[in-house]
Amino acid sequence: MASIHLDQIGHSYGTAVYALEKTDMHFEDGKTYALLGPSGCGKTTMLNIISGLLTPSDGRVLLGGTDVTRTRTAERNIAQVFQFPVVYQSKTVFENLAFPLHCRGWDRSRIATRVAEIADLLGLTSRLSQSARRLTADEKQLISLGRGLVRNDVAALLMDEPLTVIDPHMKFDLRRRIKQANDQTRHTVVYVTHDQNEAMTFADEVLVMSAGRVVQRGTPQQLFEAPRNLYVGNFIGSPGMNFVRAERLDGDLRLDGVPLVGADRCRGIAPDAEIVLGIRPEHIAFAQGEELGVPASIVSAQDHGSLLVVDVAVGSDRLRMKVRRDVSFPAGQARLRVSSDQVRLYVDGVLVN
Amino acid sequence: MLSTLKYIAVVLWSAFVVAPLLWALTTSFKTANGVTGGPTYLPYIGFEPSLDGWRSLFGGAGGIDIVRPYMDSLIVTSSASLISIVLGTLAAYGLSRFEYRAGFVKNTDIIFFFISQRIMPPIVLAIPFFLMLQFLGLLDTKIGLILVYVALLLPIAVWIMVDFFDGVPRQIDEMAMLDGCTPFEAFWRIVLPNSMPGILVASMFCVIFGWNDFFFAFTLTFTDTQLLPVAVVSLNSSVTPWWSLSASALVSVAPLILIAIFVERLLSRGTLAGAIR
Ligand SMILES: Nc1ncnc2c1ncn2[C@@H]1O[C@H](COP(=O)(O)OP(=O)(O)OP(=O)(O)O)[C@@H](O)[C@H]1O
Ligand SMILES: [Mg+2]
Repeated sequence: MASIHLDQIGHSYGTAVYALEKTDMHFEDGKTYALLGPSGCGKTTMLNIISGLLTPSDGRVLLGGTDVTRTRTAERNIAQVFQFPVVYQSKTVFENLAFPLHCRGWDRSRIATRVAEIADLLGLTSRLSQSARRLTADEKQLISLGRGLVRNDVAALLMDEPLTVIDPHMKFDLRRRIKQANDQTRHTVVYVTHDQNEAMTFADEVLVMSAGRVVQRGTPQQLFEAPRNLYVGNFIGSPGMNFVRAERLDGDLRLDGVPLVGADRCRGIAPDAEIVLGIRPEHIAFAQGEELGVPASIVSAQDHGSLLVVDVAVGSDRLRMKVRRDVSFPAGQARLRVSSDQVRLYVDGVLVN
Repeated sequence: MLSTLKYIAVVLWSAFVVAPLLWALTTSFKTANGVTGGPTYLPYIGFEPSLDGWRSLFGGAGGIDIVRPYMDSLIVTSSASLISIVLGTLAAYGLSRFEYRAGFVKNTDIIFFFISQRIMPPIVLAIPFFLMLQFLGLLDTKIGLILVYVALLLPIAVWIMVDFFDGVPRQIDEMAMLDGCTPFEAFWRIVLPNSMPGILVASMFCVIFGWNDFFFAFTLTFTDTQLLPVAVVSLNSSVTPWWSLSASALVSVAPLILIAIFVERLLSRGTLAGAIR
């Protein structure tokens, strides 16, 4: 187990565009991190640099304080699970799981015990003596996963969307099992995913990436409550944050004439700056009784299980709000209550307050 | 209906393939009279069987001793194939996985350089090979022939294996390195065991070429060393000895048939199918 420090790391695959922009990054020992971002933003590139499969064009990689930039993958002692299953077809399931231990010179009885543990965790016990060749994609990925988890002395565990090819109904269970395995070993884990729910449930800290750079890192709660910019706001949450232009009147910020945010929160913002309000769909509700609310007309509603996502029009803007299924709301016109302390202020796309 | 047609086709094809072998087999037991007496197939009924043809292969009347050329051919073919496969596989793995650059020369250029060796017709190569072996004092030796065959087989081996390794996902090597292998161990312990199908195909090409080559064996050896194809041809005389030629044809083709059966066994066991992914 070790901390990971990427010192001024940048990487380009021989083109002018950097797949990973120069950044400084620190992953603390024993914590679980989720790397979240769209396809092609450089997540796999970052993992491969950490594990040494890729030598970065710029910067240094430090593992537990030691510079390992030029150290071979094998010597870094890092476990990595790829997005698509990789199994050694000429070996049995047992041999596949035992191979990493075998390479590190463990003795037979210790290997057998450890492989049995991992096989049990992943439900592969009955398959151990089979050839890895004839397994389904699901089972092959379980083996890949098992090979990643089997060593309990690794410096770090990197997982690159390990559950993409897994059947949805198994995903939930597996996520729990991976977490369980990690809680025992307390490795430094970097977990790449497309799936924000996965990121939010798994990780102590989430890093949101876009086009080769980390846009924001923080706890799941921080990312949800205070996205640093419009991109993170849109990306985190489902549906993403609403962004509407505010009217500034007498120092107050108003939405369709209704004051939402007091002048005190606008301090330090240039008086002529255009302010955009970021409002989470979770923080909008229908106003009750005589309560003052933002007038809106309801456009449509989609069923999301226990919740409804309602599309409303406020002036020329569209907002989405989440309401419980059992809340009755008027058809056509409605008034919205917005929790104003949850509203975030953005100038030029960047969070200011 | 369809399966009937299929069986008819299979039977016809088998007849087509087996008939020449059958013909050679019966002829090898005939004498001059038996050969010229029209088509006959059943020993004792159609013709009087004789072992003359087979005897002539072992130094019998009017024949030559085929045992030594046979052994020479086995040694030369297997050594040349083995060397080509070992070197070719290593070279191909390098070319498939690592980037080489010498000025404007890159991997694809190197691969083309290998293949381009086979563009020239053999006759163009014969004279340089002759001169080189002469210079080295290796004319008319097995070592000399092995060197020449390696030069001829290596491009085939490299070409087949590069293509094969390119089809093996890189992640397999990467995974092996993550599991604790050095790059060479990853190749040796993981990629190689998974690459048997490619190696088998490449070996087959090499062995078949080496075993059947007449031209270079004929031009580069004279008396001390003689390979099977050359020896077989020297069986010929003013009266064509069909019986000896048939017998020699059968023993010549035997190793290739054995290889074919062996490969077919592996294929039908599914050992080769989907070895990777
Ligand atoms: N071997 C390579 N050669 C050239 N360009 C590459 C190579 N691998 C990745 N890239 C490019 O680098 C960028 C980042 O790729 P990377 O694989 O790190 O993305 P990712 O975030 O893992 O995406 P995904 O979610 O699809 O796996 C992409 O634009 C990709 O096209
Ligand atoms: Mg990726």
